[in-house]
Amino acid sequence: MKNIVLGLSLLMGIISSAQSTHSIRGTVKDFNNGETLLGATVFLKGTTIGTITNAYGFYSLTAAEGTYTLVVSYMGYKELTREITLNKDQLINVEIEESSEQLEEVVIVAEESEQVSIKSPETGVSKLKAGTIKQMPAVLGEVDVIKSIQMLPGVTNGGEGTGGFNVRGGAVDQNLVLLDEAIIYNTSHFFGFFSVFNTDAIKDVKLYKGDIPAKFGGRISSVLDVHQKDGNSKHFAATGGIGTITSRLALEGPLFSDKGSFLVAGRTSYAHLFMKGIEDLKDDKISFYDLNLKTNYNLNANNRIFLSGYFGRDVFDLDNIVKNQYGNASGNLRWNHVFNDKLFSNLSLIYSKYDYQIELEFAELDWIADIKNYNLKYDFGYYLNDKIRIDFGASGILYGLNPGEVKPTSETSPINYLKLEQKRAFESGLYVSAEHQLTNRLTAQYGLRYSRFNRLGGQFVTDYVNNQPVIYNSELDIYEEGDASGETYYSKNESIATFNNLEPRLGLAYQLNESSSIKASYTKSSQYMHLLSNTSAVTPVDVWTPSGKYIKPQLSNQYALGYYKNFKNNMFSMELETYYKSIDNRIDYVDGSDLIGTNTIETEILNGEARAYGVELLLRKNKGKFTGWFAYTLSKSEQRTLGGNAGGPGINGGKWYNTPYDRTHDFSLTGSYKLDDKWRFSSNLVYQTGRPITNPDGQYQYEGLSIGSYSDRNESRLPAYHRLDVSAILTPKNKHNRRWTGEWVFGIYNVYNRKNAASISFSQNQDTGNNEATRIAIFGIIPSVTYNFKF
Amino acid sequence: MKLYIKSFFVLIVLSITSCEDVIEVSVPSAEPRLVIEASLDWKKGTLGNEQTIQLSTSTPYFDTEKLDPLSGASVKVKNTSTGVEYVFIDQKDGSYNISNFEPVINNTYTLEIIYSNETYSATETLRAVSPIKAVEQTLEGGFYDDVLDVYIFWDDPVDEENYYMIRFIEEGDLLPILEDFPDEFVNGNQLDAFFEKDRDSDDPEAEFNPGDVVDISLYGISKEYFNYVRLLIEQYYSGGDPFSAIPVKLKGNCVNIDNPENYAHGYFRLSEFDTVNYTFVEQE
Repeated sequence: MKNIVLGLSLLMGIISSAQSTHSIRGTVKDFNNGETLLGATVFLKGTTIGTITNAYGFYSLTAAEGTYTLVVSYMGYKELTREITLNKDQLINVEIEESSEQLEEVVIVAEESEQVSIKSPETGVSKLKAGTIKQMPAVLGEVDVIKSIQMLPGVTNGGEGTGGFNVRGGAVDQNLVLLDEAIIYNTSHFFGFFSVFNTDAIKDVKLYKGDIPAKFGGRISSVLDVHQKDGNSKHFAATGGIGTITSRLALEGPLFSDKGSFLVAGRTSYAHLFMKGIEDLKDDKISFYDLNLKTNYNLNANNRIFLSGYFGRDVFDLDNIVKNQYGNASGNLRWNHVFNDKLFSNLSLIYSKYDYQIELEFAELDWIADIKNYNLKYDFGYYLNDKIRIDFGASGILYGLNPGEVKPTSETSPINYLKLEQKRAFESGLYVSAEHQLTNRLTAQYGLRYSRFNRLGGQFVTDYVNNQPVIYNSELDIYEEGDASGETYYSKNESIATFNNLEPRLGLAYQLNESSSIKASYTKSSQYMHLLSNTSAVTPVDVWTPSGKYIKPQLSNQYALGYYKNFKNNMFSMELETYYKSIDNRIDYVDGSDLIGTNTIETEILNGEARAYGVELLLRKNKGKFTGWFAYTLSKSEQRTLGGNAGGPGINGGKWYNTPYDRTHDFSLTGSYKLDDKWRFSSNLVYQTGRPITNPDGQYQYEGLSIGSYSDRNESRLPAYHRLDVSAILTPKNKHNRRWTGEWVFGIYNVYNRKNAASISFSQNQDTGNNEATRIAIFGIIPSVTYNFKF
Repeated sequence: MKLYIKSFFVLIVLSITSCEDVIEVSVPSAEPRLVIEASLDWKKGTLGNEQTIQLSTSTPYFDTEKLDPLSGASVKVKNTSTGVEYVFIDQKDGSYNISNFEPVINNTYTLEIIYSNETYSATETLRAVSPIKAVEQTLEGGFYDDVLDVYIFWDDPVDEENYYMIRFIEEGDLLPILEDFPDEFVNGNQLDAFFEKDRDSDDPEAEFNPGDVVDISLYGISKEYFNYVRLLIEQYYSGGDPFSAIPVKLKGNCVNIDNPENYAHGYFRLSEFDTVNYTFVEQE
């Protein structure tokens, strides 16, 4: 591999050296803590030559011999300029300083540097810097990445108390969530109330809403790329907080005589400590915790290694009736290697796992399910010349899934031991993409990803009469399990099914003038792993399943068009995007499906299609005492599931129906006002069309009960969701200890106490016998106080 | 068991949030539909000659007049093995009776209902059930350790798939509690089911107390009926909650031959059942 790379770079080197040019390369870091900065702009003043730093803060530029002014800029930092004489290839590492002395600057900005965002052919990209999420009002004062991205256009979720998020009308499982490159299978703690990301350990977050770069694969709606901090390489530092629900502490500092650094961050809820003291609750336990770890070591100027890890757990124990625990664990070992001034590489070995366990004492059973994967990937960035940058690489992911194991927990338990078929799969990808500045005004990004998925053997697969796992009973107009004709055993070195897909990705940006541009993009992507859930809320129990003999990969085509404009010297900016996507092989569940504890999921599903389209508007104020944005999305998301091979009309009579993620209107306003050095105020206002639900359209008497009959799928809606949050942040002046900084965050979530329906359930009153609708509202008005510190 | 796993999330969500209230909601209103409650249940140790079929039409969801009885239909059941036909007599109150029905285990029967020139038809096989071999009162069992509960026990036959429906009711209660039970994870074992009521600090009568009387019936049901009633029970108890499956149009086995779109609610079921009547005593 190395030889090929060297050969390739040599070849490219010859092409470029013919023009008598030189390269500069280096890393951009934060002056105060030595954190590498990704997405910083590096350019030569007065030219069109410029680039942005990659995920490791690395950049490379090539220009003709001469003297230049090198400019490095990054949102929230002081611009740095340096005169350089370009007469040979050189290494220029720069450190830039934050422009304000905020405790932690986590500002959400749609894309870093306007200069580049206007030019960059990426559409639908949003970036969150780890800093002002802390200043956004949060429920119970718990700062939350997943909740914050929902303030951006095109991002929603199933409601309070449900996990995950939905991007442009897509399902939760269509998001690839990466924490330092490791796949996170469940993003929530506490059944969706909080997210697994501890903001003290996070550097930044990037969300790709549709125009997914070719280096990512395996999910069709979005990529949420979360980077952990490297750890302060200048001096020892501690960050922490004491909140209503959790307390946090992060320690970081230099290691190996300043050749490396480390970060250790922990967070835990502590309600269970108080519960012990309450008589009624002493046998209950509700808690969660997580631990982040990162360390890196600079071998020399061209080699750096990183080790990062995450471990999170939720424990729920209700009076010994139910014991429930689940969580993610991941680890990543990386090696950054700079081959030469133009060729950067990173090799990663990644492990991640999610497991779920529930023990039901009264039923005397213990249920365990898990998914784990090993991932090896090698990525390259080649800075060919001032016009072209090429990224290429390869990856391989080996999955192992235990969809469920049931064990009796006592001698007297009537439960028989059962272990569902263990599943294995191998997903591999090869990609190349190039960012090409065609003219001064036109920039293109061409990408191609080749993905391959092998569902590996080592298990039995059920065969069905006429190859029909589901059959339509035309007499009763229902879908039923097909008749099994036998089982085939596939050995470990056999493939049960293999899929190959070519996924072109194309982006174009045309700069209209200094401050505005239009962009267009096309993305094809495929998804081989699916989260099975026939409920409207994603729960920790939901089981991942790989594509195989009966479940085909989901294939998406997305088209996007956008207009971008900066006003008043970048004080304001506007992004207007429209998209259309269609998805093939989106499965849905037949009426009465039952997904838990079955080897034969294929008998419960039909293969359908989905489509989503919408317009997104984002208006931001980037500078001044008041900063913030307004986001509005008008969209539609629907699906159709025909009978196909099973016969019959399909689900919902073969008609199009709303997906549970359809939201006609989605409106968010968020702002932050800095009064003085002591006080800062912020606020969120959210309005969203209610989630589609299925309501009863009649009742009848059966077995002495009043049974509801239901209408077409997702035909009705919950009432609209809206709320207002406010918070005030007080940073007291500290005269005694200059290193210690503290701040108080006072928040009120849902100020006007709106009872937003998380769900409406329909049932018969057990005393009166009359039917009634019951609303469950999760969070009413919630005040909170959090103290954060740093030294 | 499958239902339990997901229902726990409802419990959990409810336990951490108490913001639950009854609200006014406008729901769609479908055209009235025929409802067929043709449950030919044969109690162990009886002849099973007396049977009733109930016909009605569906009403708007929030109507307090819930039952709209339907008379004037022709109702017949036929044993397809023997060819004997049983004609049910219209009582003019929505019920149709017979006093000479002959239930035979594993025989297949057809139902034919003619109403308003449309014919509804259904086919079902009569299923047997194991006897309830014991009934036992405990304190430790069930969900809560300090509340009285009652268990029934029976043996599941080892060499076949079995499906059960259990009906619990405390004398004086308005509504029964239904539970479905497949032998999927427990085949061939001694099975049990318990009936327990939650403690309510404001109402000492809410939980079971000595002297309370309950009826528990165990029905042997077909796989097809199990699939129907499982969904009916799930939707009845958790229609609309976010952790249960999206509610669907429930279709039974009564098909409208003349106009399939105009299908009937309800089911034609035949099952053997065993029942116990238990009076709680002081727990020792």
